[in-house]
Parts: sequence; C-alpha cells; structure tokens
Amino acid sequence: MATMRTVPEFEGFRVVHPLHDKAEQKCSTKGLGHIAMTRSVRIALAVLRGYLVLMTLMLTYHVMALAGIVR
Amino acid sequence: MRVEERVASIVTIDDSDETASPRGIVVRKSWQRSFLTFLMVFGPGLIVMEADNDAGAVSTYMQAGGQYGLHLLWTLVLLLPICYFVQEMVARLGIATGKGHAAMIYERFGKWWGRFSLFDLLAVNFLTLITEFAAISLALSALGISPYISVPVSAIGLSLMVITGSYLRWERVTIVLCLMDLTWFVLTFLVHPNWAAVARNTLVPNLPTGGITGSLVFLIIAIVGTTIAPWQLFFQQSCVAEKKLRFADLKWARLDTLIGATFTVCVAGAMMLVGNYGYRHGIQFQNPAQIALALGPMAGKFVRDGILLLMVNAAVLGTTAISLASAWAYGEVQGWEHSLHKKLWEAPGFYATYVGCVGAAAAVVLIPRVPLQLVIISVQVFAGLILPSAIIFLQLLLNDHELLGDRWVNRPWNNAINWTIVIVLFALSMLLAAQVILPNLFPS
Repeated sequence: MATMRTVPEFEGFRVVHPLHDKAEQKCSTKGLGHIAMTRSVRIALAVLRGYLVLMTLMLTYHVMALAGIVR
Repeated sequence: MRVEERVASIVTIDDSDETASPRGIVVRKSWQRSFLTFLMVFGPGLIVMEADNDAGAVSTYMQAGGQYGLHLLWTLVLLLPICYFVQEMVARLGIATGKGHAAMIYERFGKWWGRFSLFDLLAVNFLTLITEFAAISLALSALGISPYISVPVSAIGLSLMVITGSYLRWERVTIVLCLMDLTWFVLTFLVHPNWAAVARNTLVPNLPTGGITGSLVFLIIAIVGTTIAPWQLFFQQSCVAEKKLRFADLKWARLDTLIGATFTVCVAGAMMLVGNYGYRHGIQFQNPAQIALALGPMAGKFVRDGILLLMVNAAVLGTTAISLASAWAYGEVQGWEHSLHKKLWEAPGFYATYVGCVGAAAAVVLIPRVPLQLVIISVQVFAGLILPSAIIFLQLLLNDHELLGDRWVNRPWNNAINWTIVIVLFALSMLLAAQVILPNLFPS
C-alpha cells in the first residue's frame, strides 16, 4: 500500500542523467511496414538508385584508371 | 531532459512509487537545473561536428588557406547552417525513435535500400579511415616516429578506447580530444593574421584572383564534402539513441549541435588561417605535415609540433567516430547487440566490426607503395556522391507522419531549408561528377 507523506517546503529539482532515467515509449516502426510513398517519390528513388550505381561504377573506373590498373 | 519532479511546497509524494528514480542530483535553482541538464545531454553534437574536422578536413582547410589565402573563409559561414539543420534532423529522429539511422532506413525503406545505404556507408567510411591512419603516419613520421610503431600503437589505443564497456567513459575522453582543438586558436594568434582582412573575407563572399578554375571548384566541393559527411548522419543518431536522450532533451540536443557546429566552423577557419600563413610566405605544400615542417623555422617549434600533433588528434577523433558509425550501423542492421554499454563478450560482433575497421585501415596504410593520394581523392568524391542521397532519406524519414506523428515531423520551413540543401548538394555532386568525367571543364 502506498505510503503518503507531505513535503512542507520546496526541496528543489532532481536532475537525472538520461542513461539513468526510466525508458520512454519511443515512436516505433512495429507493425507499420514500409513507408508510404507516392508514385513520384518511388520514381525519384529509382532514378536516384540508378544515378548512384552509375556514378559509383564511373568513379571506380576513374580511380582504377588513375592507379594505372586499367587504361 | 525529464526533470523527475519539481518538489514544491505542499506536494504529496507517493513514497512507494517504484517509478521514481533513486539517482539524480537535486538542485535548488531553475537555472542550475537547466545548466546541469544541458551538461548531461551535451556530447553527441559536439563530437559529431568536431570529429568531422578529421585529418582530411585539416588537409583540405589548410590547403584552402595555403592556396587561396583568406578568400574561401566565407564558405564556412554558409556551411554553418547547413551543418546545423541536417544534424538537428538527425538528433530529432534519434530522440523520437531511440534507434539508429541504418535501422530506420531498413525498417522503413526495406532491405534493398538498407543494404545499399549500408554498403555505401561502410565503403566510404573505410576509405576515410585509411586517410586518417595515413595522416597519423605522416604527422608522427615528421616527429621522428616510424609508421611501423605509430600506426599499430594508434590502432590499439583506438580499440582500447571503446572496449571499456562504458559509453560515458568513451564520451568524456572524446570530448577532451575535441577540446584539444582549441589549440588551433592559439596557433592562429601565433601566426598573426590580418584580422580586418579575416573579417572582410568571412562576411563578404569573394573569389580569388584568377576567377573560377578547376582546382578552385574542386576545393570548394572538397570543403563542402569535408564539412558535412554521410557518416555524421548515422553517427549522431546512433549516439543519441545510445545515450538514451529523452523527448524533453531535444532543446538541449539542439543547443549541443549548434555549439558543435559553431565550434567546428571556427576551428576550420583557424586551420585556414594557419594555412594562410604558408600562403603569405609562398610555401608550397601537399599535406599539413609538409607545411608544419616548413613553418617551423619561421613560426617556431610550437607551431610546427602543434600542427603535427593536432593532425594526429584530428585523425584519432575521426577514426573513433567513423568506426563507431560503421559498427553501430552494421550492428543495427544485423540485429546484434550494438552498445558501448556492453562488455566485449556481450557484443562481440559490434566490437569486432569496430576493431576490424580500425585494424584493416591501419594495415592498408602500412602496405608499401599504396597510392594514398588516390584514396584521399576517391574518398572526397565518393562522399560527395552519396551525401545528397543520404540526406534525402533523412528528409523522407522526417516527413513520416505515420511513424513520428505531428510532434516530430519536419515543419514546412524545415522542409524548405532542407530541400534547398539537398538541391545545392546535388548540384555540387553533379559538378564533381562532371569534373571527374571532363577534367578540362574549367580552366586550370
């Protein structure tokens, strides 16, 4: 059973380090699945994927050429 | 910060409340509470920003000062808000979800994008780590220490730094390393810059004599690339999650990030000013170790050794943060225990990733005739390429109402600023790509 007492005067503020504090309920992805995206966002991401793959390959080739591995 | 309770007069306390934390510090004044809370939250923002002033950054900023004098100081002023706004989003996402960035990409965008982002991150991080150890090797060689001693000893020290099983211990050591960068300001005063010219070039954007050339464009892109890097997004979010920052801590995390961004930009400016000393004396150099040795007879032994040791400090800071970013991200995706709170045997995969990254990068540097300069250029280009896409994912996550609700998502003004940043970074990324394909795009 809870024991109750009355604090007669101001005692101060208790500051707790985040690591020693109680855990909070955070925003969770549980049950959400993948993010909802519009068609245009989906297309933009596909273009981005292509751009990144192409640029990575091009950079790899350029570096290999600079290193004298390919001509 | 959740202040556990404000114990005011005639307040009834339930002594049996099991949720009341037994720990904490009681202070009497409101300002003491705020200050103490800030000190407890302080860390990730400063570390992520200052670790970004790594060996590559020292080289780039000093090169900028050495090649163009004070003319590129204004770029740093423009980069300050970019750094802050991007990292604020990361801190907000970390606090809202309590999870790292890699985990969020996996969970919200699926395995394909998750693996793609992770591969990019690990690849660019590994290349960056090689440059960090190359800098350690160069700087300590200039001080007479063989790379075969300095590099392995540094790698072992960097590994020991994280395997103590305490996040706070690692954080405190790293903050001390960050604060050592204050020495850059001492060096700046010792090289007596023209402060009026410094103020003018900082506030008024201008171009050096000769206008836009290929090397100027490359250097500006390198400055952008080195001031904000992809690993920072992953690092700060994981760090915030690791530190278990609470919803109420957000305002202090923002202040931490702002202080970190401001400090970093000021240190970057100091590096340019030291490089400018070489410019004023007509010293040609390829890396900071060379300028340190050349400045020794003119500016004194303190300046020479200071630059060399600060180079090592920058590389150590960069290495620990970047390796942790990789280990956290990989651990999150693999579903391993991935926390500095864990002992070595409790999170073997996480620590093995960290030690593996550090050890492999150190080993590469010790291989004779490895083209390190090529690695350094590749890192800058690669990081520049993947940065905009990394920020796009961040932006999409910060607009995820389903996950974050209305409280944590970006406001319209956040989105306007961040899309502007993405567009600018994309333009620079494409410019960089164009320059790689067409080396004669700009006059030499």
